[in-house]
Amino acid sequence: MIFRAVEDADLIRKARRGDVEAYNLLISRWERRVYNYLLRIVANREDALDLSQDVFLKAYQNLRKLDDPARFAPWLYRIAHNEAYSLFRKRRPEGETEELQPETLEGAATIGGNAVFPVELTLAVATALRKLSADQRETVVLKIYQGFKFEEIAEIVAAPVSTVKSRLYTALDLLKAELAPVKARGAS
Amino acid sequence: MTCPPFDLRDYYFKDLAENERRLTEVHVKTCAHCREELERLRGTETALLTLPDEEIPQRIGFVSDAVFQPSAFRRGWDALWGSAARLGFVSAAMLSAALVVFSLSRPAPQAAAQVPAVTRVALETEVSQRVNDAVAKAVAASEARQVRQTRELLAASDKQHALETQAMMVRVQEYLDVEKKHLNTLILASNGVGSANEDPR
Repeated sequence: MIFRAVEDADLIRKARRGDVEAYNLLISRWERRVYNYLLRIVANREDALDLSQDVFLKAYQNLRKLDDPARFAPWLYRIAHNEAYSLFRKRRPEGETEELQPETLEGAATIGGNAVFPVELTLAVATALRKLSADQRETVVLKIYQGFKFEEIAEIVAAPVSTVKSRLYTALDLLKAELAPVKARGAS
Repeated sequence: MTCPPFDLRDYYFKDLAENERRLTEVHVKTCAHCREELERLRGTETALLTLPDEEIPQRIGFVSDAVFQPSAFRRGWDALWGSAARLGFVSAAMLSAALVVFSLSRPAPQAAAQVPAVTRVALETEVSQRVNDAVAKAVAASEARQVRQTRELLAASDKQHALETQAMMVRVQEYLDVEKKHLNTLILASNGVGSANEDPR
């Protein structure tokens, strides 16, 4: 992990000097994670791809503002967060981001389908996630799927750690309630 | 959740201090309710992780294009404002430069009073010297010119005098010649008259 972090820092330094190939290599390491983060927030593949491209372009243009290359990941996700919420505001000027009509992501349940769990559970997870508020969903994605620390999530979403924890724990309670019947059926 | 000494969810997500974590761990071993709660959290997370990541439908990459490159000015500007250290250094440098310029452009008042007096005396001496030099040079040139003109006039006068003297001598000689011829003629005439008077028979 340390070796990888150093490599990323080297790529960032090269990219800062205008080395586009170094930046492309950096993108290849992060594009899948950023795309899936955005996909689970905006729930639309086309939007997620467009936003991912915007995120990496803005990151390149502002790479010199990144003081500590070791903080690249939260810094990059902060840009992604801003891009996603900018889209929410454009689509819903009144700020009700939860009212977005996401495209059906059933396809996701079949890509690399997990043999241990039934497809029904995977679909139930996707449905339960869509029932969360945008803030709750984003916190779940950043913690469970992206593995960030609470302090890093707080930096990304620009909120106190206490708020982040509150959003996550409330979301987990809701998800637990949503998924319990499905898990019970799977167990029986 | 009042049963465990600390928030069980913080314990699950490893966000407790070491002593808090140990206390909670001891409690969980003896509390069936908390163990069940932890199992439910673990089950929920496991269920969430059944949702797989998707492959990005199109790889992202950039080409080296000036359109996407921030300008050199922009890079420098961003680097300046993006770094507190650089900004502080530049601010300190600007302040130092301002102090140096201020000190150079605003000399001490007593120095300002002395400098004009010294300058005035020196200027007067220099101007006086230059004027004297110029006058002496002009006088010398004028005298030289006067001497030269006098010599030229004397030479011309001597030459004219010599020519006139020579011309006068020529005219005197011509006059003397004429007078001599006239005298001879008179002598011859007088001799002829004497001869005629002696021989009438």
